Amino acid sequence: MARHRRRFGVYALEQSAPFIGFLASAAVLTLIIIGLGENPGKAFQGIYKFSLSDAAKLAAVLSISIPYYLSGLSIVIAFRAGVFNIGNEGQYFIGGMVGAIAGTYFHLPPVLHIPVVIIFSMIGGALWALVPAVLKAVRGIHEVITTIMFNNIALALVNYLVNGPLSGLQKGTSLEPQMKKLLPSAMFGKLNGFFRSIGWNVPNYVYLDYSLIVAIVMGVAVWFLLFRTRQGFEIRAVGTSLDVSRYAGIQVGRVQIGAFMLSGAIAGLIGLQEIFAIRGFYTYNLASGLGFDGIAISLIAKNSPIGIVFSSVLFAFLKQAGYGLQLFSKVPNSVTYAIQGIMILFIVAINEILIRAARGLRKKEVG
Amino acid sequence: MDLSFIGFFLVKGLEISSPIAFSAMGGVFSERGGVVNIALEGIMTVTALTLVWGAITFQSIWVGLLVAVITGMLMGLIHAVVTVTFKVDHVVSGVAINVFAIGLSRFLCQSFFGAETQSKINPFLFPKLLGINSLAFWLIPAAALGWFLLYRTVFGLRLRSVGENPEAADTLGVNVTLLRYAGVLISGALCGVASATLFADKWITGMVAGRGFIALAAVIFGRWDPVGAVLASLLFGYADTVRIVFASKIPIPDQFIQMFPYILAVVVLAGIVGKSRAPAWDGRNYEKGED
Repeated sequence: MARHRRRFGVYALEQSAPFIGFLASAAVLTLIIIGLGENPGKAFQGIYKFSLSDAAKLAAVLSISIPYYLSGLSIVIAFRAGVFNIGNEGQYFIGGMVGAIAGTYFHLPPVLHIPVVIIFSMIGGALWALVPAVLKAVRGIHEVITTIMFNNIALALVNYLVNGPLSGLQKGTSLEPQMKKLLPSAMFGKLNGFFRSIGWNVPNYVYLDYSLIVAIVMGVAVWFLLFRTRQGFEIRAVGTSLDVSRYAGIQVGRVQIGAFMLSGAIAGLIGLQEIFAIRGFYTYNLASGLGFDGIAISLIAKNSPIGIVFSSVLFAFLKQAGYGLQLFSKVPNSVTYAIQGIMILFIVAINEILIRAARGLRKKEVG
Repeated sequence: MDLSFIGFFLVKGLEISSPIAFSAMGGVFSERGGVVNIALEGIMTVTALTLVWGAITFQSIWVGLLVAVITGMLMGLIHAVVTVTFKVDHVVSGVAINVFAIGLSRFLCQSFFGAETQSKINPFLFPKLLGINSLAFWLIPAAALGWFLLYRTVFGLRLRSVGENPEAADTLGVNVTLLRYAGVLISGALCGVASATLFADKWITGMVAGRGFIALAAVIFGRWDPVGAVLASLLFGYADTVRIVFASKIPIPDQFIQMFPYILAVVVLAGIVGKSRAPAWDGRNYEKGED
């Protein structure tokens, strides 16, 4: 019994890096706030007021966390296979565009149209991941570099297509460049009514739309794939050790290409909320940087499909917190970006230290 | 096309290649010591800002350059501490530093200049030579110096041994940690120089615009060799120059010309990498007495 408790202690030690890292970076933030001559109490109150103080603020945080979660999830699956997909930025711009094409030019009843745009978004994202995936598996070219190149190519490509062949603007209008408006049958409805019926007073201006369902379904599916199927086992084996996997007869290249494309497919969903619920049309001016945020979100949660629920909510909270800080104190919004980077560094470094400590404890136990 | 135009094109290309080339050379030193540094982009973002700040504050671009080199080394130091001392995955650390750098540079810009996305104009510039930033011409002696340092000095030999076989180097009494730190710090310093060859007159958020990542491709294409990396950077730089100089003269949509350097990088990597071999311990952490 005592031994069990001890083992749990070691396990808890190994898992506690995200919490310690979070607290450490909160301490750094406090120091920065003091350094800027602000009262930390007042600053944190500003954060609280802007992000957590009532049901509407909390709903806004949840709404912002949806694309973060999908972005993190796409990175989780790639990381688990030992693939560093920095290309989910480009993949969601392309995926969203392909989905929007299906949403604009296909005439279908809503019951079919919404699943179709989701699937097309996934296909678009997956295809954009194909070339870097194959180049990695076949030619051994590091995906970090190819995917970054593909991000830049994607941005230029959607810029061309939205301005050119896919432009939905009449000549002479001064709106920002965009594709044709989506058909109403492809638009994502809101779940706000449902949440109100169960007692959570979500105001109308907050977007808790169908993309929340997509995120939940995808999260469960990825968890199931990774931990309950043979393919998922192979993915994790490849991510843990290439050599061992090869000896075990796993076709490493095929597994990595598959995981890479799946990662791209999920990345294709990052833009769903913005395109199909908020804007109602596709533009190359989608919120940028969501792909990179996903990397941080996944790392902070140690690449766990469940853990990223918390880290994506944390990032959504940080985003609101940045605005809160800016509104209620002299601390600029940019501090929250810096804090995100510091938090990742803290968490990964502390994680290494704790793993070493835990390994030491285990050795002692065995010996 | 007359001679002066060709001359202009050649010189302009050198200027445009320089930021990529200096940071790629930095990447070579870091990776030859065994530390992958994908934070080049972020480090340049920060040094580009501190360069402008240093130049305006001390009314000299040379002091600005010094400030940029020092901040580059400090940023490199973070990467070295996290990867070499704490043995975190190099790419993970690099990504985190890139995120950190975006926030830090905007925060510093806000503190120094009162605006988050762009600095004041810096009137203290490097002297011009043949119509371009004269610092760009340093590239040629710098590449020679880099080659000499890596292949003809004890330091270079040790650095390479640490990247190839840290165990053997360690057995022979080489301080693996110290040398890996040195490699990363050199890359930080070179990022400082690289950002000084960018646009020294003003800092704008996002001004590095992926050059740090192109530099990584140049490291591989240049086969982890200082001269090779510079030549690869020239290829990317001149491809970009073609885009800038000829954009208005070619009947191809601008966006496709924008893609050109990136597509070129992918094609080049796809064609070359089979023949290009990374240092054996590149990106791997070394632990004394493991097993």
